[in-house]
Amino acid sequence: MSIRNLVAASALFAALAAPASAKEWTEVTIALEGAYAPWNLTDANGKIVGFEPDLTEYLCAHAKLKCTLISQDWDGMITALNAGKFDVIMDALSITPERKEVIDFTVPYAATPAVFAAPKDGELANLAGTGSVIKLADTSDGAEAIAPLKTALTGKTIGIQAATVYAKFIYDNFKDVAEIKEYKTSAERDLDLSAGRIDAGFDDATYFLGAFESADNAGLAFTGPEIAGPIWGEGEGLGIRKSDPELKALFDEAIKAAVADGTVKKLSEKWLKVDVTP
Amino acid sequence: MSWIDLIGFGEQGRGGILLWAMGMTLAVTAASLCIGAALGAVVAAAKLSASRPARWLGDAYTTVFRGAPELLIIYLVYFGGSQAVTAVGRWLNYEGFLGLPSFLAGAVAVGLISGAYQAEVYRGAYQAVSRGELDAARSIGMGTLLRLRRILVPQILRFSLPGLGNVWQLSLKDSTLVSVTGLAELMRTSQIAAGSTKQYFLFFIVGGALYLVLTTLSDRVFNFAERRVARSFRHGLGRH
Repeated sequence: MSIRNLVAASALFAALAAPASAKEWTEVTIALEGAYAPWNLTDANGKIVGFEPDLTEYLCAHAKLKCTLISQDWDGMITALNAGKFDVIMDALSITPERKEVIDFTVPYAATPAVFAAPKDGELANLAGTGSVIKLADTSDGAEAIAPLKTALTGKTIGIQAATVYAKFIYDNFKDVAEIKEYKTSAERDLDLSAGRIDAGFDDATYFLGAFESADNAGLAFTGPEIAGPIWGEGEGLGIRKSDPELKALFDEAIKAAVADGTVKKLSEKWLKVDVTP
Repeated sequence: MSWIDLIGFGEQGRGGILLWAMGMTLAVTAASLCIGAALGAVVAAAKLSASRPARWLGDAYTTVFRGAPELLIIYLVYFGGSQAVTAVGRWLNYEGFLGLPSFLAGAVAVGLISGAYQAEVYRGAYQAVSRGELDAARSIGMGTLLRLRRILVPQILRFSLPGLGNVWQLSLKDSTLVSVTGLAELMRTSQIAAGSTKQYFLFFIVGGALYLVLTTLSDRVFNFAERRVARSFRHGLGRH
Protein backbone atom coordinates (compact mmCIF):
# COMPACT_ATOMS: atom_id res chain seq x y z
CA MET A 1 0.00 0.00 0.00
CA SER A 2 1.44 3.38 -0.95
CA ILE A 3 2.01 6.08 1.66
CA ARG A 4 -0.70 8.24 0.06
CA ASN A 5 -3.31 5.46 0.32
CA LEU A 6 -2.27 4.71 3.88
CA VAL A 7 -2.71 8.36 4.90
CA ALA A 8 -6.09 8.54 3.14
CA ALA A 9 -7.30 5.33 4.80
CA SER A 10 -6.13 6.54 8.22
CA ALA A 11 -7.90 9.86 7.77
CA LEU A 12 -11.12 8.14 6.70
CA PHE A 13 -10.96 5.75 9.67
CA ALA A 14 -10.32 8.64 12.08
CA ALA A 15 -13.24 10.60 10.66
CA LEU A 16 -15.61 7.66 11.02
CA ALA A 17 -14.37 6.57 14.42
CA ALA A 18 -14.30 9.98 16.09
CA PRO A 19 -17.70 11.05 17.40
CA ALA A 20 -18.82 14.52 16.33
CA SER A 21 -17.76 16.70 19.26
CA ALA A 22 -20.92 18.43 20.41
CA LYS A 23 -20.23 21.61 22.35
CA GLU A 24 -21.16 21.43 26.01
CA TRP A 25 -22.89 24.71 26.89
CA THR A 26 -22.71 25.95 30.48
CA GLU A 27 -22.41 29.72 30.04
CA VAL A 28 -24.24 31.88 27.52
CA THR A 29 -24.15 35.59 26.71
CA ILE A 30 -27.49 37.00 25.56
CA ALA A 31 -27.74 40.38 23.81
CA LEU A 32 -30.75 42.65 24.16
CA GLU A 33 -31.25 46.24 23.07
CA GLY A 34 -31.96 47.33 26.64
CA ALA A 35 -34.16 50.16 25.37
CA TYR A 36 -37.13 48.45 23.70
CA ALA A 37 -39.64 48.78 26.51
CA PRO A 38 -41.54 46.80 27.67
CA TRP A 39 -39.81 43.84 25.98
CA ASN A 40 -36.47 44.86 27.46
CA LEU A 41 -35.40 48.06 29.17
CA THR A 42 -32.67 49.26 31.52
CA ASP A 43 -33.51 50.33 35.07
CA ALA A 44 -31.85 53.08 37.10
CA ASN A 45 -29.20 50.65 38.36
CA GLY A 46 -28.19 49.63 34.85
CA LYS A 47 -29.95 46.24 35.11
CA ILE A 48 -31.81 44.99 32.04
CA VAL A 49 -35.42 44.20 32.96
CA GLY A 50 -38.67 43.51 31.11
CA PHE A 51 -40.59 40.65 29.52
CA GLU A 52 -37.57 39.09 27.81
CA PRO A 53 -35.13 39.28 30.76
CA ASP A 54 -37.78 37.69 33.00
CA LEU A 55 -38.37 34.96 30.44
CA THR A 56 -34.60 34.47 30.09
CA GLU A 57 -34.40 33.70 33.80
CA TYR A 58 -36.86 30.85 33.34
CA LEU A 59 -35.28 29.57 30.11
CA CYS A 60 -31.75 29.55 31.50
CA ALA A 61 -32.81 27.82 34.71
CA HIS A 62 -34.67 25.19 32.65
CA ALA A 63 -31.68 24.66 30.33
CA LYS A 64 -29.26 24.69 33.31
CA LEU A 65 -27.26 27.55 31.81
CA LYS A 66 -25.52 30.49 33.44
CA CYS A 67 -26.73 33.42 31.36
CA THR A 68 -25.25 36.91 31.15
CA LEU A 69 -27.38 39.67 29.64
CA ILE A 70 -25.63 42.43 27.72
CA SER A 71 -26.94 45.56 26.05
CA GLN A 72 -26.21 45.85 22.32
CA ASP A 73 -27.19 48.38 19.67
CA TRP A 74 -29.93 47.12 17.31
CA ASP A 75 -27.84 48.13 14.28
CA GLY A 76 -25.52 45.28 13.40
CA MET A 77 -26.89 42.92 16.04
CA ILE A 78 -26.99 39.92 13.68
CA THR A 79 -23.51 40.73 12.37
CA ALA A 80 -22.25 40.94 15.95
CA LEU A 81 -23.80 37.54 16.74
CA ASN A 82 -22.01 35.94 13.80
CA ALA A 83 -18.79 37.73 14.77
CA GLY A 84 -18.95 35.94 18.12
CA LYS A 85 -19.62 39.00 20.29
CA PHE A 86 -22.35 37.07 22.12
CA ASP A 87 -24.20 33.77 21.75
CA VAL A 88 -27.89 34.67 21.54
CA ILE A 89 -30.04 37.60 20.37
CA MET A 90 -33.22 38.17 22.36
CA ASP A 91 -34.73 41.42 21.17
CA ALA A 92 -38.26 40.82 19.85
CA LEU A 93 -36.51 39.40 16.80
CA SER A 94 -39.04 38.18 14.24
CA ILE A 95 -38.29 34.88 12.55
CA THR A 96 -38.11 35.59 8.81
CA PRO A 97 -36.81 33.64 5.79
CA GLU A 98 -34.24 36.39 5.06
CA ARG A 99 -32.82 36.23 8.57
CA LYS A 100 -32.90 32.42 8.51
CA GLU A 101 -30.35 32.56 5.71
CA VAL A 102 -27.74 34.02 8.05
CA ILE A 103 -28.71 32.80 11.52
CA ASP A 104 -30.73 30.05 13.18
CA PHE A 105 -33.83 30.63 15.27
CA THR A 106 -35.37 28.76 18.15
CA VAL A 107 -39.06 27.95 18.17
CA PRO A 108 -41.00 31.20 18.77
CA TYR A 109 -41.62 32.39 22.33
CA ALA A 110 -44.03 35.16 21.27
CA ALA A 111 -46.22 36.19 18.37
CA THR A 112 -47.47 39.76 18.26
CA PRO A 113 -49.57 41.80 15.86
CA ALA A 114 -48.39 45.09 14.34
CA VAL A 115 -50.41 48.25 13.98
CA PHE A 116 -50.33 51.87 12.85
CA ALA A 117 -50.24 54.69 15.39
CA ALA A 118 -51.15 58.30 14.71
CA PRO A 119 -52.08 61.45 16.66
CA LYS A 120 -55.50 61.05 18.33
CA ASP A 121 -56.71 64.36 16.96
CA GLY A 122 -55.18 64.04 13.48
CA GLU A 123 -56.87 63.15 10.22
CA LEU A 124 -55.56 59.57 10.43
CA ALA A 125 -57.19 58.90 13.81
CA ASN A 126 -59.62 55.97 14.02
CA LEU A 127 -59.19 54.67 10.49
CA ALA A 128 -61.59 52.00 9.27
CA GLY A 129 -61.03 48.74 11.15
CA THR A 130 -59.56 50.29 14.30
CA GLY A 131 -59.88 47.74 17.10
CA SER A 132 -60.22 44.75 14.78
CA VAL A 133 -57.57 42.19 13.81
CA ILE A 134 -56.79 41.01 10.29
CA LYS A 135 -54.67 37.91 9.73
CA LEU A 136 -52.36 37.88 6.75
CA ALA A 137 -50.31 35.01 5.42
CA ASP A 138 -48.16 37.17 3.15
CA THR A 139 -48.17 40.48 1.31
CA SER A 140 -50.07 39.29 -1.75
CA ASP A 141 -52.69 37.64 0.43
CA GLY A 142 -53.37 40.95 2.15
CA ALA A 143 -53.82 43.21 -0.88
CA GLU A 144 -57.59 43.47 -0.43
CA ALA A 145 -57.50 43.86 3.35
CA ILE A 146 -54.83 46.56 3.16
CA ALA A 147 -56.55 48.54 0.38
CA PRO A 148 -58.44 50.91 2.75
CA LEU A 149 -55.19 51.64 4.60
CA LYS A 150 -53.40 52.41 1.33
CA THR A 151 -56.13 54.85 0.39
CA ALA A 152 -56.02 56.57 3.79
CA LEU A 153 -52.21 56.82 3.78
CA THR A 154 -51.83 58.11 0.22
CA GLY A 155 -49.56 61.15 0.25
CA LYS A 156 -48.73 60.69 3.94
CA THR A 157 -45.40 60.01 5.66
CA ILE A 158 -44.96 56.72 7.53
CA GLY A 159 -42.19 56.25 10.08
CA ILE A 160 -40.60 52.86 10.75
CA GLN A 161 -37.60 51.45 12.57
CA ALA A 162 -34.95 50.39 10.06
CA ALA A 163 -34.10 46.73 9.43
CA THR A 164 -37.29 45.30 10.93
CA VAL A 165 -40.01 43.05 9.46
CA TYR A 166 -42.32 46.03 9.74
CA ALA A 167 -40.04 48.08 7.50
CA LYS A 168 -40.22 45.38 4.84
CA PHE A 169 -44.03 45.25 5.08
CA ILE A 170 -44.35 49.02 4.70
CA TYR A 171 -41.98 49.12 1.73
CA ASP A 172 -43.76 46.20 0.05
CA ASN A 173 -47.20 47.75 0.44
CA PHE A 174 -46.95 51.53 0.75
CA LYS A 175 -43.86 52.74 -1.11
CA ASP A 176 -45.96 53.68 -4.16
CA VAL A 177 -48.47 55.76 -2.24
CA ALA A 178 -46.67 57.19 0.81
CA GLU A 179 -43.32 58.63 1.80
CA ILE A 180 -41.41 56.27 4.09
CA LYS A 181 -38.98 57.53 6.70
CA GLU A 182 -36.61 55.16 8.51
CA TYR A 183 -35.34 55.62 12.05
CA LYS A 184 -32.50 54.02 13.99
CA THR A 185 -34.83 53.36 16.94
CA SER A 186 -38.59 53.24 17.46
CA ALA A 187 -38.22 55.89 20.16
CA GLU A 188 -36.80 58.40 17.66
CA ARG A 189 -39.69 57.69 15.31
CA ASP A 190 -42.17 58.34 18.14
CA LEU A 191 -40.61 61.76 18.77
CA ASP A 192 -41.24 62.76 15.15
CA LEU A 193 -44.74 61.29 15.24
CA SER A 194 -45.66 63.29 18.36
CA ALA A 195 -44.10 66.41 16.85
CA GLY A 196 -46.19 66.01 13.68
CA ARG A 197 -43.17 65.61 11.42
CA ILE A 198 -44.58 62.30 10.18
CA ASP A 199 -48.22 61.25 9.89
CA ALA A 200 -48.15 57.66 11.13
CA GLY A 201 -45.85 55.09 12.67
CA PHE A 202 -45.97 51.33 12.22
CA ASP A 203 -44.66 48.92 14.84
CA ASP A 204 -45.33 46.05 17.18
CA ALA A 205 -48.65 46.62 18.98
CA THR A 206 -47.14 45.70 22.35
CA TYR A 207 -44.34 48.21 21.85
CA PHE A 208 -46.86 50.98 21.17
CA LEU A 209 -48.91 50.04 24.25
CA GLY A 210 -45.84 50.75 26.36
CA ALA A 211 -44.93 53.87 24.41
CA PHE A 212 -48.39 55.40 24.88
CA GLU A 213 -47.85 55.42 28.65
CA SER A 214 -45.22 58.15 28.27
CA ALA A 215 -46.29 61.77 28.61
CA ASP A 216 -44.42 62.54 25.36
CA ASN A 217 -46.67 60.10 23.49
CA ALA A 218 -49.94 60.83 25.29
CA GLY A 219 -51.40 62.27 22.09
CA LEU A 220 -50.92 59.06 20.09
CA ALA A 221 -53.25 56.09 19.60
CA PHE A 222 -53.72 52.97 17.46
CA THR A 223 -55.38 53.54 14.13
CA GLY A 224 -56.60 50.96 11.66
CA PRO A 225 -56.75 47.21 12.24
CA GLU A 226 -54.07 45.21 14.00
CA ILE A 227 -52.24 43.04 11.48
CA ALA A 228 -51.39 39.55 12.69
CA GLY A 229 -50.60 36.14 11.28
CA PRO A 230 -47.77 34.40 9.42
CA ILE A 231 -46.90 37.58 7.53
CA TRP A 232 -44.58 38.36 10.48
CA GLY A 233 -43.04 34.92 10.24
CA GLU A 234 -43.52 32.34 12.94
CA GLY A 235 -43.25 34.95 15.68
CA GLU A 236 -40.35 36.18 17.78
CA GLY A 237 -37.56 33.73 18.51
CA LEU A 238 -34.03 33.67 19.86
CA GLY A 239 -31.35 34.27 17.23
CA ILE A 240 -28.50 31.76 17.40
CA ARG A 241 -25.47 31.13 15.18
CA LYS A 242 -25.91 28.34 12.64
CA SER A 243 -22.79 26.73 14.08
CA ASP A 244 -24.46 26.22 17.50
CA PRO A 245 -27.23 23.61 17.01
CA GLU A 246 -26.74 22.25 20.55
CA LEU A 247 -27.57 25.65 22.02
CA LYS A 248 -30.64 25.95 19.79
CA ALA A 249 -31.84 22.54 20.99
CA LEU A 250 -31.44 23.56 24.66
CA PHE A 251 -33.45 26.74 24.19
CA ASP A 252 -36.08 25.06 21.98
CA GLU A 253 -36.85 22.66 24.78
CA ALA A 254 -36.93 25.44 27.39
CA ILE A 255 -39.24 27.65 25.28
CA LYS A 256 -41.65 24.76 24.66
CA ALA A 257 -41.80 24.22 28.43
CA ALA A 258 -42.38 27.95 29.07
CA VAL A 259 -45.25 27.98 26.56
CA ALA A 260 -46.76 24.75 27.91
CA ASP A 261 -46.73 25.70 31.59
CA GLY A 262 -48.11 29.20 31.03
CA THR A 263 -44.92 31.12 31.89
CA VAL A 264 -45.01 33.06 28.60
CA LYS A 265 -48.67 33.94 29.20
CA LYS A 266 -48.04 35.08 32.77
CA LEU A 267 -44.95 37.17 31.95
CA SER A 268 -46.39 38.73 28.81
CA GLU A 269 -49.57 39.75 30.62
CA LYS A 270 -47.43 41.29 33.37
CA TRP A 271 -45.17 43.28 31.04
CA LEU A 272 -46.98 43.62 27.71
CA LYS A 273 -50.56 43.71 29.05
CA VAL A 274 -51.56 41.05 26.49
CA ASP A 275 -50.95 37.34 26.04
CA VAL A 276 -48.40 36.87 23.25
CA THR A 277 -48.16 33.07 23.52
CA PRO A 278 -47.47 31.82 19.97
CA MET B 1 -41.97 60.75 38.84
CA SER B 2 -40.51 64.23 38.25
CA TRP B 3 -37.67 64.91 35.84
CA ILE B 4 -35.46 65.89 38.79
CA ASP B 5 -35.96 62.40 40.26
CA LEU B 6 -35.15 60.81 36.90
CA ILE B 7 -31.81 62.56 36.45
CA GLY B 8 -30.96 62.64 40.16
CA PHE B 9 -29.02 60.20 42.31
CA GLY B 10 -31.95 58.62 44.16
CA GLU B 11 -33.27 55.08 43.78
CA GLN B 12 -34.94 55.78 40.43
CA GLY B 13 -32.44 58.41 39.31
CA ARG B 14 -30.01 57.87 36.47
CA GLY B 15 -27.50 60.53 37.47
CA GLY B 16 -24.93 57.97 38.61
CA ILE B 17 -25.14 55.95 35.40
CA LEU B 18 -24.86 59.10 33.28
CA LEU B 19 -21.77 60.28 35.19
CA TRP B 20 -20.20 56.83 34.83
CA ALA B 21 -20.95 56.98 31.09
CA MET B 22 -19.37 60.43 30.95
CA GLY B 23 -16.22 58.89 32.45
CA MET B 24 -16.36 56.12 29.84
CA THR B 25 -16.58 58.73 27.07
CA LEU B 26 -13.52 60.50 28.49
CA ALA B 27 -11.64 57.20 28.78
CA VAL B 28 -12.38 56.18 25.16
CA THR B 29 -11.39 59.63 23.91
CA ALA B 30 -8.18 59.72 25.95
CA ALA B 31 -7.22 56.20 24.83
CA SER B 32 -7.95 57.09 21.20
CA LEU B 33 -5.87 60.27 21.48
CA CYS B 34 -2.90 58.24 22.77
CA ILE B 35 -3.26 55.68 19.97
CA GLY B 36 -3.66 58.53 17.49
CA ALA B 37 -0.57 60.32 18.85
CA ALA B 38 1.61 57.27 18.24
CA LEU B 39 0.16 56.71 14.77
CA GLY B 40 0.22 60.42 13.95
CA ALA B 41 3.89 60.76 14.85
CA VAL B 42 4.84 57.81 12.63
CA VAL B 43 2.68 59.01 9.74
CA ALA B 44 3.97 62.59 10.05
CA ALA B 45 7.55 61.26 9.93
CA ALA B 46 6.62 59.24 6.84
CA LYS B 47 5.09 62.29 5.14
CA LEU B 48 8.22 64.34 5.87
CA SER B 49 10.54 61.54 4.79
CA ALA B 50 12.85 61.74 1.79
CA SER B 51 11.59 58.31 0.73
CA ARG B 52 8.86 58.48 -1.89
CA PRO B 53 7.13 55.18 -0.85
CA ALA B 54 7.02 56.39 2.78
CA ARG B 55 5.49 59.70 1.70
CA TRP B 56 2.98 57.87 -0.48
CA LEU B 57 1.97 55.57 2.42
CA GLY B 58 1.61 58.54 4.76
CA ASP B 59 -0.55 60.40 2.25
CA ALA B 60 -2.67 57.30 1.63
CA TYR B 61 -3.27 56.85 5.38
CA THR B 62 -4.36 60.44 5.98
CA THR B 63 -6.52 60.48 2.84
CA VAL B 64 -8.35 57.27 3.76
CA PHE B 65 -8.90 57.95 7.46
CA ARG B 66 -9.87 61.59 7.04
CA GLY B 67 -12.09 60.82 4.05
CA ALA B 68 -13.95 57.66 5.11
CA PRO B 69 -17.06 57.99 7.32
CA GLU B 70 -16.19 57.50 10.99
CA LEU B 71 -19.06 55.06 11.53
CA LEU B 72 -17.78 52.84 8.73
CA ILE B 73 -14.32 52.70 10.29
CA ILE B 74 -15.81 51.81 13.68
CA TYR B 75 -17.83 48.98 12.12
CA LEU B 76 -14.80 47.70 10.22
CA VAL B 77 -12.62 47.66 13.33
CA TYR B 78 -15.33 46.21 15.60
CA PHE B 79 -16.50 43.41 13.31
CA GLY B 80 -13.48 43.01 11.05
CA GLY B 81 -11.08 43.15 13.99
CA SER B 82 -12.89 40.33 15.75
CA GLN B 83 -12.91 38.20 12.61
CA ALA B 84 -9.20 38.84 12.09
CA VAL B 85 -8.37 37.90 15.69
CA THR B 86 -10.57 34.78 15.43
CA ALA B 87 -8.82 33.79 12.17
CA VAL B 88 -5.43 34.12 13.87
CA GLY B 89 -6.79 32.02 16.76
CA ARG B 90 -7.93 29.29 14.35
CA TRP B 91 -4.48 29.33 12.75
CA LEU B 92 -3.08 28.72 16.24
CA ASN B 93 -5.57 25.85 16.73
CA TYR B 94 -7.97 27.78 18.99
CA GLU B 95 -11.52 26.90 17.92
CA GLY B 96 -13.66 29.46 19.76
CA PHE B 97 -14.51 33.05 18.89
CA LEU B 98 -12.07 35.75 19.91
CA GLY B 99 -13.57 39.20 20.00
CA LEU B 100 -12.17 42.68 20.38
CA PRO B 101 -13.81 44.23 23.46
CA SER B 102 -16.07 47.18 22.65
CA PHE B 103 -13.81 49.62 24.49
CA LEU B 104 -10.69 48.51 22.64
CA ALA B 105 -12.45 48.43 19.25
CA GLY B 106 -13.85 51.92 19.84
CA ALA B 107 -10.54 53.37 21.04
CA VAL B 108 -8.63 51.84 18.11
CA ALA B 109 -11.20 53.00 15.54
CA VAL B 110 -11.36 56.57 16.84
CA GLY B 111 -7.56 56.43 17.31
CA LEU B 112 -7.09 55.57 13.63
CA ILE B 113 -9.17 58.59 12.65
CA SER B 114 -7.50 60.81 15.24
CA GLY B 115 -4.07 59.63 14.02
CA ALA B 116 -4.78 60.92 10.52
CA TYR B 117 -5.60 64.39 11.85
CA GLN B 118 -2.74 64.37 14.35
CA ALA B 119 -0.29 63.48 11.57
CA GLU B 120 -1.19 66.71 9.79
CA VAL B 121 -0.92 68.67 13.05
CA TYR B 122 2.59 67.29 13.76
CA ARG B 123 3.69 67.81 10.17
CA GLY B 124 2.62 71.45 10.30
CA ALA B 125 4.29 71.89 13.70
CA TYR B 126 7.56 70.39 12.42
CA GLN B 127 7.55 72.72 9.44
CA ALA B 128 7.03 75.68 11.80
CA VAL B 129 10.26 74.93 13.70
CA SER B 130 12.98 77.39 12.69
CA ARG B 131 15.53 75.76 10.36
CA GLY B 132 18.13 78.17 11.77
CA GLU B 133 17.89 76.59 15.22
CA LEU B 134 18.38 73.12 13.79
CA ASP B 135 21.36 74.26 11.73
CA ALA B 136 22.88 75.97 14.77
CA ALA B 137 22.41 72.81 16.84
CA ARG B 138 24.04 70.75 14.12
CA SER B 139 26.96 73.19 13.87
CA ILE B 140 27.78 72.96 17.59
CA GLY B 141 27.90 69.17 17.28
CA MET B 142 24.51 68.14 18.71
CA GLY B 143 23.63 64.56 17.78
CA THR B 144 20.30 63.58 16.19
CA LEU B 145 18.75 62.33 19.45
CA LEU B 146 19.86 65.37 21.40
CA ARG B 147 18.47 67.70 18.71
CA LEU B 148 15.24 65.76 18.82
CA ARG B 149 14.99 65.95 22.63
CA ARG B 150 16.16 69.51 23.17
CA ILE B 151 14.86 71.35 20.10
CA LEU B 152 12.43 69.44 17.90
CA VAL B 153 10.08 67.68 20.34
CA PRO B 154 9.51 70.68 22.70
CA GLN B 155 8.79 73.01 19.79
CA ILE B 156 6.64 70.52 17.91
CA LEU B 157 4.57 70.06 21.07
CA ARG B 158 4.29 73.81 21.51
CA PHE B 159 3.19 74.43 17.91
CA SER B 160 0.87 71.42 17.83
CA LEU B 161 -1.09 72.16 21.03
CA PRO B 162 -3.83 74.29 19.39
CA GLY B 163 -4.29 71.66 16.67
CA LEU B 164 -4.33 68.85 19.24
CA GLY B 165 -7.09 70.70 21.10
CA ASN B 166 -9.19 70.57 17.94
CA VAL B 167 -8.38 66.88 17.41
CA TRP B 168 -9.42 66.14 21.00
CA GLN B 169 -12.78 67.84 20.45
CA LEU B 170 -13.24 65.89 17.20
CA SER B 171 -12.42 62.61 18.95
CA LEU B 172 -14.78 63.46 21.79
CA LYS B 173 -17.60 63.83 19.29
CA ASP B 174 -16.53 60.77 17.28
CA SER B 175 -16.72 58.75 20.49
CA THR B 176 -20.53 59.07 20.34
CA LEU B 177 -20.46 56.70 17.36
CA VAL B 178 -18.77 54.01 19.47
CA SER B 179 -22.26 53.44 20.92
CA VAL B 180 -22.92 51.10 17.96
CA THR B 181 -20.53 48.57 19.54
CA GLY B 182 -22.76 48.44 22.63
CA LEU B 183 -20.24 50.30 24.80
CA ALA B 184 -22.12 52.21 27.49
CA GLU B 185 -20.62 55.63 26.82
CA LEU B 186 -22.60 58.84 27.24
CA MET B 187 -24.53 58.71 23.96
CA ARG B 188 -25.62 55.08 24.33
CA THR B 189 -26.50 55.55 28.00
CA SER B 190 -28.66 58.57 27.11
CA GLN B 191 -30.39 56.53 24.38
CA ILE B 192 -31.00 53.63 26.76
CA ALA B 193 -32.35 55.93 29.47
CA ALA B 194 -34.61 57.65 26.92
CA GLY B 195 -35.93 54.36 25.52
CA SER B 196 -36.41 52.77 28.94
CA THR B 197 -38.24 55.68 30.57
CA LYS B 198 -39.86 57.09 27.40
CA GLN B 199 -38.53 60.51 28.49
CA TYR B 200 -36.74 61.19 25.22
CA PHE B 201 -36.29 64.95 25.34
CA LEU B 202 -35.16 64.91 28.94
CA PHE B 203 -32.32 62.45 28.44
CA PHE B 204 -31.22 63.79 25.06
CA ILE B 205 -31.03 67.29 26.56
CA VAL B 206 -29.16 66.01 29.63
CA GLY B 207 -26.80 64.02 27.39
CA GLY B 208 -26.20 67.10 25.25
CA ALA B 209 -25.56 69.24 28.33
CA LEU B 210 -23.01 66.74 29.65
CA TYR B 211 -21.20 66.73 26.30
CA LEU B 212 -21.16 70.52 26.46
CA VAL B 213 -19.59 70.31 29.93
CA LEU B 214 -16.90 67.99 28.55
CA THR B 215 -16.10 70.13 25.53
CA THR B 216 -16.08 73.38 27.53
CA LEU B 217 -13.78 71.95 30.21
CA SER B 218 -11.52 70.44 27.54
CA ASP B 219 -11.29 73.82 25.85
CA ARG B 220 -10.26 75.44 29.15
CA VAL B 221 -7.61 72.77 29.80
CA PHE B 222 -6.07 73.17 26.34
CA ASN B 223 -6.10 76.98 26.57
CA PHE B 224 -4.38 76.76 29.96
CA ALA B 225 -1.78 74.33 28.56
CA GLU B 226 -1.11 76.62 25.60
CA ARG B 227 -0.55 79.61 27.91
CA ARG B 228 1.76 77.61 30.16
CA VAL B 229 3.85 76.32 27.27
CA ALA B 230 4.06 79.77 25.67
CA ARG B 231 5.16 81.26 29.01
CA SER B 232 7.85 78.63 29.57
CA PHE B 233 9.19 79.29 26.06
CA ARG B 234 9.35 83.03 26.73
CA HIS B 235 11.24 82.36 29.97
CA GLY B 236 13.55 79.96 28.19
CA LEU B 237 14.38 82.54 25.53
CA GLY B 238 15.24 85.10 28.19
CA ARG B 239 17.82 82.86 29.87
CA HIS B 240 21.46 83.36 28.66
